Amino acid sequence: MANPSTDTKIENPALAEPRNEGDQNATTTTPKPISSPSVFVNSEPIRPEQVENAVKFLSHPKVRGSPVMYRRSFLEKKGLTKEEIDEAFKRVPDPSPTVQGATVNQDPQPKLVANAQLQAPAQAQQTSAAPTRGVISRVISQPRFHWTHAIYAVGILAVSGAGSAVLFKNALIPRLKSWIRKIASEDENGVVRKPGSKPSATEEAAAAAKTAAEAAAQVAKASQEMMDMNIEEKRCFRNLMDMLEVQQREMREMSFTIRKLEDQTNSSSVVRTYSQDYRLSSSKQPYTNGMAEFNSLPGRSSLPPASVNSSIPPYPKSYIEEFNDLSSNAYQQHMPNSGVAPRSKPWEAGQPPNSSSTYQLQADSDLGNINGSTSRWQQKNVRIAELENEEESKVGPYYSSQAPEQTARRPWVPPQPPPVAMAEAAEAIRRPKPTVQKEQQLTSDHKLDQPLNELQSVTDISETGGAPEARPSEIVEELEGNC
Amino acid sequence: MPAFKIPFNGYSVKFSPFYENRLAVATAQNFGILGNGRVHVLSLPPSPGAPIVETAAYDTSDAVYDIAWSESHDSILVAAIADGSVKVYDTNLPPASNPLRSLQEHTREVHAVDYNPSRRDSFLTASWDDSIKLWTVDRPISVRTFKEHAYCVYAAAWNPRHADVFASASGDCTVRVWDVREPGSTMIIPAHDFEVLYTDWNKYDDCILATASVDKSIRVWDIRSFRVPITVLNGHNYAIRKVKFSPHRGSLMVSCSYDMTVCLWDYMVEDALVGRYDHHTEFTVGVDMSVLVEGLLASTGWDELVYVWQHGTDPRAP
Repeated sequence: MANPSTDTKIENPALAEPRNEGDQNATTTTPKPISSPSVFVNSEPIRPEQVENAVKFLSHPKVRGSPVMYRRSFLEKKGLTKEEIDEAFKRVPDPSPTVQGATVNQDPQPKLVANAQLQAPAQAQQTSAAPTRGVISRVISQPRFHWTHAIYAVGILAVSGAGSAVLFKNALIPRLKSWIRKIASEDENGVVRKPGSKPSATEEAAAAAKTAAEAAAQVAKASQEMMDMNIEEKRCFRNLMDMLEVQQREMREMSFTIRKLEDQTNSSSVVRTYSQDYRLSSSKQPYTNGMAEFNSLPGRSSLPPASVNSSIPPYPKSYIEEFNDLSSNAYQQHMPNSGVAPRSKPWEAGQPPNSSSTYQLQADSDLGNINGSTSRWQQKNVRIAELENEEESKVGPYYSSQAPEQTARRPWVPPQPPPVAMAEAAEAIRRPKPTVQKEQQLTSDHKLDQPLNELQSVTDISETGGAPEARPSEIVEELEGNC
Repeated sequence: MPAFKIPFNGYSVKFSPFYENRLAVATAQNFGILGNGRVHVLSLPPSPGAPIVETAAYDTSDAVYDIAWSESHDSILVAAIADGSVKVYDTNLPPASNPLRSLQEHTREVHAVDYNPSRRDSFLTASWDDSIKLWTVDRPISVRTFKEHAYCVYAAAWNPRHADVFASASGDCTVRVWDVREPGSTMIIPAHDFEVLYTDWNKYDDCILATASVDKSIRVWDIRSFRVPITVLNGHNYAIRKVKFSPHRGSLMVSCSYDMTVCLWDYMVEDALVGRYDHHTEFTVGVDMSVLVEGLLASTGWDELVYVWQHGTDPRAP
C-alpha cells in the first residue's frame, strides 16, 4: 500500500502533531499493522462487515450489469474506504478486464477458481454456458438460471396454448357438430315418433331450438317493421323539410320584393330593411337571436353564427375580451386564431385558420358553461346553416352569389356535435326561439297528411311548453342526421 | 463603495494577494450557458465614496467560470474557461499579447482553479470531465491528472499548511483528499447525500474542511474523524455555491448561495449564522474574503454586479 512511502516522505517538521493524532486514531479500533503518521490518509482498519455488505452488493445480478465506476462510486458514497472497496472487489470476481487479471489469479479460493474458468463462456453466449451450469456456483449462475427459466416458461406457455388450440379444433368442434346433427336428425325422427314416444332430452333441445328460431324470426320481423317505420319517418321529415323550404322561398321572395320597393322609395333606409330582412329570414333559424345585432349584412342570415373568422369586423367584443383574458394577450382583437396559439403550443403558430378556429371552438367549450354553450350553439348554427345553404344552392339564381360566399366563408368543418348532456345549457340560450319553431311545426303539421306519432307527440309537448326545450334540439338533430 | 456593473453575469471574484485594492472577476455571457466571457481586473478606490475602476479586461470566446491570482507574480492571473481551456493572463502586458498561455487539456468545462499558496508555482484545475489536473506556470502541459471522481469535479482547494495536500469536491457527493505524491486519493469522505459544490480548508486548523452542497447545508469536517461532521450549518434556502474560510479568524466562514444571499458563519458559536447580506437580486455565485484587509468581502452574482464591502456595513451603501 502507499502508507510506507508516506511514512518516509512525511518527515517534515511541524508534523509531530499529526503523528500523535495518527496514533490516537489508531487506538479507537484495532491497530492496523501499518500505522501512518499522516493525517490525510485514512488509517482505519478494514471493517469486515462493511466488506461483507459490499460483497453482497457487488454480487447482486443487477449490480453486475452496471459499470465498475458506478459500483465504486456507490460504495464510496456509503463510506467505505478504498481498501475495503478493493477487498470487496477482490472477493467478488468482476468480468471487467481491469479487475480480472489482478485479482482472480491471486486469490486461492476454490470458488473463485471455478468462476474464473467459467468467465470466458459467461461472456460469450448463454448456450455455451449450458454445460457448465452444473459446475457454476450460485453466485454467477443466478442470472443464467433466470434466463433459462424465462425461456422454459415461454416455451411451455406456447406449447400449452398450441396444444389446447389443437385439442379444441380436433376434438371439441367435431363433437359439437355431431351433436347438432344428432339433434337435427332426431328432430325429424321426433316428429314421427311424437304420438307415442317419451320426449327425450334431445327432443326437448330441438324444441327449444325451434322456439329460439321462431323468436329470432319474430325479432327479425320486428326489426324489419322498425326499418319500415324509419323509412316512413324519413319520408315525412323530408316532406317537412320541403315545406320549410317552400316557406323559406316565399319569405325570400317577400323580402326581395320589399327591398325592391324600398329601393324605389327610400335608399337611406336600406340598412334598416336589410336588418329587418335578416331578422325575418333568420326567424327560421332558432339560434341567431343573440347574435342578430352584430351582423346586418344582407344574405348572410345563415352565416353569422359561423363567423368565427376575423373577416367580419363587428364581432362582439365581449366574447373576444373574455378569450383574451384567458389567454392573456392583448392583441387578439382581429385575430381570434392567434389567441389560441399561446394556449396550444408556440411552435404551432403556422397552422391554417381551419384547425385553429376549430380548436378555438373546442377551447371555448372548455372555458366554461356559458362559453361552452355558445360554442355548441354556434356549432348547431353552423350545421343548420350548412343545411340551409344546401337548400339555397338548389333554389335559385339570385342566391348563387351568396352560396359561394357562404361556402367560401366557412373554411373550417364544424366539429362533432357534443353529447346531449350539455343540451340543457344550450337550450337556455335557444329558449326565445322555440316559439317560432313551434309555429312552424304547427303549420307544417297541418300540411302533412300523414303526421307521424312522434311528430305529433313532439308538437303536443311543445304546445304544452313543459319540457319543450329538449325537443326542438332533438328534432333538429334528427333533421341533420337523416337528411 | 458602490457596486461595479459588469456586462456579463458574474461567476467568481478573487482578491489579489499582493494588492489590497485589486480584485479579479470572472464573468460569462448568458449565465454561462452559451456565449463569451470576460475577465475583469478591478481597482478599489482609495476613498470610500469613489467608484470602482476597471484596470483591465480580457475577452474570451467562452464563459469564464473561475479565476485565480498567482502567488508568485503579482500580475498573473489564471482563468478557467468553459471550453476546457485554462488561460494565463498577465496584466502587465498589453492586451494584444494576452492571454499569455492557453492550456487545452481538459475535455469538458473547467469549473475551478486554485493556486498553491505554499509552493506558489503550481495550480490545480477541476473540470467537469471528472478529473483534476496539476499544472505549473512554466510548463505547457499538465504535471499530473487525478481521475477518480465519478462525476463532475466542482472545486479543488489546496491545504494552506501542507503544500502537497488538496481536497476536491465533486458531483458524485464525495470529497476526496489527495496527496500529490500519491497515485490516488488518500481519503474519501462521503460528505453529503447530494452534489458537493465547494470545499475549503480552515486557514488555522489544517485538518478542518468545510463543504457546501446542493442540500442547502454546509458541513464542517475534521478529517481525522471523518465519519461524522463536526457541525452542519443550515440556513440557506437553496444550494450553496461557495464557502470560504476567513484568513483572519479561524472559525469564520462566508458562503454564497442560490438564495441570493451571502452569509457569514461561525461554527464554534451556538448560533452559527453571524451575518446575512441579501444585496444581490440574482444567484450569488462568487464570494471572497480579502487576505490583506480584515473583514473585506467581495461578492458577485448573476445580476451582473460586483459588491465590495466591509463586514458589518451595508454592501449597497455608497
